[in-house]
Amino acid sequence: MPGGMPMRDGIGDIVALARTLVTGCRCEYAEVRLSSSRGDSISLTGEQVESFSSGDTIGGSVRILNNGSWGFVSFNDPEAIESHFRRCIEISSSIGGRDRTRIRPYRAVKRHFDTPSQKHAGTVPLEEKFSLISGYNRILKSSPLVQTTRATYRDVVSRYAYLNSEGSEITYDRAYCGISLSSIARDGAVIQPYSESVSGYGGFEIAEGREETAERVAKTACDLLKAESPAGGTHRVVADQKLAGVFIHEAFGHLSEADFVHENERLKKMMVIGRQFGPDGLNVLDSGSLPGLAGYIPFDDEGVLPEETRLIKGGLLSGRLHSRETAEKMGEETTGNARAIGVARQPIVRMTNTYIENGPHNREEILQAAGDGIYAAGVIGGETNLEMFTFTSGYGYQIKHGRLGTMYRDIVLSGNVFTTLLNIEMIGNDRLMFGGLGGCGKGGQSPLPVSFGGPHLLIKDVLIGGAQ
Amino acid sequence: MIERVQDRLSGRARWFDIIEVSGSSTPISFKNNRLHSITERHNTGFGVRVNVDGRTGFSYTNDGAALDDMAGRAMELSTWGDREDFELPAEAGTHFEPYDGAIDSFDVKSEIAAAEETIAAILARFPGATVDLGISRSTASSRIVNSSGIDASYRSSHYAASIGATLILDDGSRIEAAGTLSGLAPLDYRELRDEITGNIEAALTTRKSPSGRVPVVLSPRAAARIIGIVTSGLNAKSVYRGISPFAERRGSAVFNSALTLRDDPSMDSSPFSYPFDDEGVPAVKKRLVNRGVIETFITDLKHAKKLGLAAGGNGQRSYASLPYPSFSNIVIDPGIEPRNRMIEGIERGILVEQFIGLGQSNTLTGDFSANLELAYLIENGTITGRVKDCMLSDNLFHLLAGEIVLSAERKRIGSVLAPYIMLPAVNYTG
Repeated sequence: MPGGMPMRDGIGDIVALARTLVTGCRCEYAEVRLSSSRGDSISLTGEQVESFSSGDTIGGSVRILNNGSWGFVSFNDPEAIESHFRRCIEISSSIGGRDRTRIRPYRAVKRHFDTPSQKHAGTVPLEEKFSLISGYNRILKSSPLVQTTRATYRDVVSRYAYLNSEGSEITYDRAYCGISLSSIARDGAVIQPYSESVSGYGGFEIAEGREETAERVAKTACDLLKAESPAGGTHRVVADQKLAGVFIHEAFGHLSEADFVHENERLKKMMVIGRQFGPDGLNVLDSGSLPGLAGYIPFDDEGVLPEETRLIKGGLLSGRLHSRETAEKMGEETTGNARAIGVARQPIVRMTNTYIENGPHNREEILQAAGDGIYAAGVIGGETNLEMFTFTSGYGYQIKHGRLGTMYRDIVLSGNVFTTLLNIEMIGNDRLMFGGLGGCGKGGQSPLPVSFGGPHLLIKDVLIGGAQ
Repeated sequence: MIERVQDRLSGRARWFDIIEVSGSSTPISFKNNRLHSITERHNTGFGVRVNVDGRTGFSYTNDGAALDDMAGRAMELSTWGDREDFELPAEAGTHFEPYDGAIDSFDVKSEIAAAEETIAAILARFPGATVDLGISRSTASSRIVNSSGIDASYRSSHYAASIGATLILDDGSRIEAAGTLSGLAPLDYRELRDEITGNIEAALTTRKSPSGRVPVVLSPRAAARIIGIVTSGLNAKSVYRGISPFAERRGSAVFNSALTLRDDPSMDSSPFSYPFDDEGVPAVKKRLVNRGVIETFITDLKHAKKLGLAAGGNGQRSYASLPYPSFSNIVIDPGIEPRNRMIEGIERGILVEQFIGLGQSNTLTGDFSANLELAYLIENGTITGRVKDCMLSDNLFHLLAGEIVLSAERKRIGSVLAPYIMLPAVNYTG
């Protein structure tokens, strides 16, 4: 193991037993997932150490497709896997579904993966982790306008084993690390939070050298105290790279998850390959195979290797994200997008690293073309129901005659997914990718590490909430 | 197993507590109108908190074989902990259990049959709809052991049914109606089904309304959601951090006198009730807002000490985290106006069932801005259709300080018991 993990390996002995169980199972499909992990987490707020904790987690699950229905059992006593396996066969056969679920087979994969890391989190002394995050927390509260802060550090190192009845056996020594930094500035009744987060697969180095981020967070929170709210109504909006990324993840990405589509005739007609979704220059991709990024997966939680999937090509719908089940149902290829937040949960169709490809324009040209409008940067949060979306940008500016003016806060953008994509007028050439300790939520599984990104975008007719 | 950890810590720590949580659940999931999967989950976890020389350390595990290691690590981590001078309780108080033995009547086959009947009834009315339905049974036990002599535990049971129905119309617009019902034992959820079909029916026609300030009625579901903007400021942790807008306003009238808000850990038939919190503190009913006046804040032991509040059993945690102040059941007292008369009195207004994106704004100051996922236009006292692609943006604290009307009827939505709330003038962007 890289750097020598300090935890006891609670699953190594179970793998051989699991192999016998899955290969001997006479159901359509069986898989076992096992994991053993250790994580350290530090949360500082203002002058306080809110928590500094460290814990070990062990777990496993069995998923069986039997007579066209799924049974799933999760547990934290892997040594009892035989009885859990039997129980899973039992519950999956207690029901005879009228419509049978079928899944797409995949080749047997026998591999081991490691997260490359420079400073493995398991070998970094607690003292060093504490002192790094304390340093950031000091920067976060450097202005007298800052009322309070929160600086969070988290790492998880885990060993994951995946086995299925097709003969796949994959092990993965995984390391994830990240920080989240926020300052809350206050001036009388005005309270203004601002935060940023960085995370990815790798070692302690991901969290190091982020002083500039901390400075930016503190400064932005303080600057926002004097910012104004934009007028409500319809505006031309220039979205920065982060907002462009969140937009494509929230507004379009979820629609391309095939589990929303595969059994819905009407949605299938709307999401037909070749339909125009955006302007000619719009290209959108999802790829789990980009190392380091928060959405990196060497294989998905159904043992499928990740593909680069072109979701939109030249403005036309050109692909979607699949699990084995949705791929089979729709007669398309698997893409390696079945993911779960942990072994105790069932894999569902999820994004990985989702982004808009660069277009031809630089930021200056886009601002010039915008004329009068709103520049919206970063994001606080967002939500979509596959037709409408709402999200709040971190901060922004008025654009007047192509130049940035007054600072804005509380920019809430909302709209219809389909018309807003078609309303993209210009695509920048300065794409950036973003991860963070938060993540994506779906089907009660949150947070799942993902990353997203894009270049600057000019979008017309965006509904902004606020007084007229 | 806990006894081993106790022995290890005794005499080495100023105080300690150990939490053990174990449970199992059986979620049955229907997706796209048909049975998709049956799941069984089992988990047990332990968390240990120690105070050494006044500093607190914490560690957790769900691996029974790693308990010794866990205790050692908590001791080690206390070196970096904050100075905390509160004491642990010695008595967890009188007991009741949020547990109903009837949870054992949960039967997978009959639940599947009832779910299939529900889906068939919705499809009979809207043949093009897709229904996702989830039913879940769970039982759990919590145990707290501490160095002041507490060794207390209780069982809990939880049954939940959730239905989400989506109908896509010819023009591509989407109607999504959803709801959840929960209790301590299996429930009949036909009423929830009828509410959902009723909500879809009323949304089949789309209406437009001009932007401006309009009367808004929040359904119990929408009210339960939006009240979170208020309750987050009634949390002792936000008060201590100086980010609660109510920090210096204890005793002052902040809202209209129609608003009374309680935390009630002993509510009947609610799976969100409990006899004592995760620090072993007896859980008692408390009034947070009394006729518009801020009375107190919910707190855990740490913030009770820091702010001079009485701890009333709001320290909650999973085994893998330290306690933090959290609500049990939130109760909004009812008004006297019947819901129908409230709507009949509106010439032109909006009835909100479901927001989308609420809480993404800077809600510390009461500001909110949200799209309306499911909302209706009220014209001359009648609901005439759905409004969509529109937003409500305003300041909730200002709205609740002004004229408000609460209905006599209430519903428990998750852990919030809420009436319909009428706000006479809210900023609407269409």
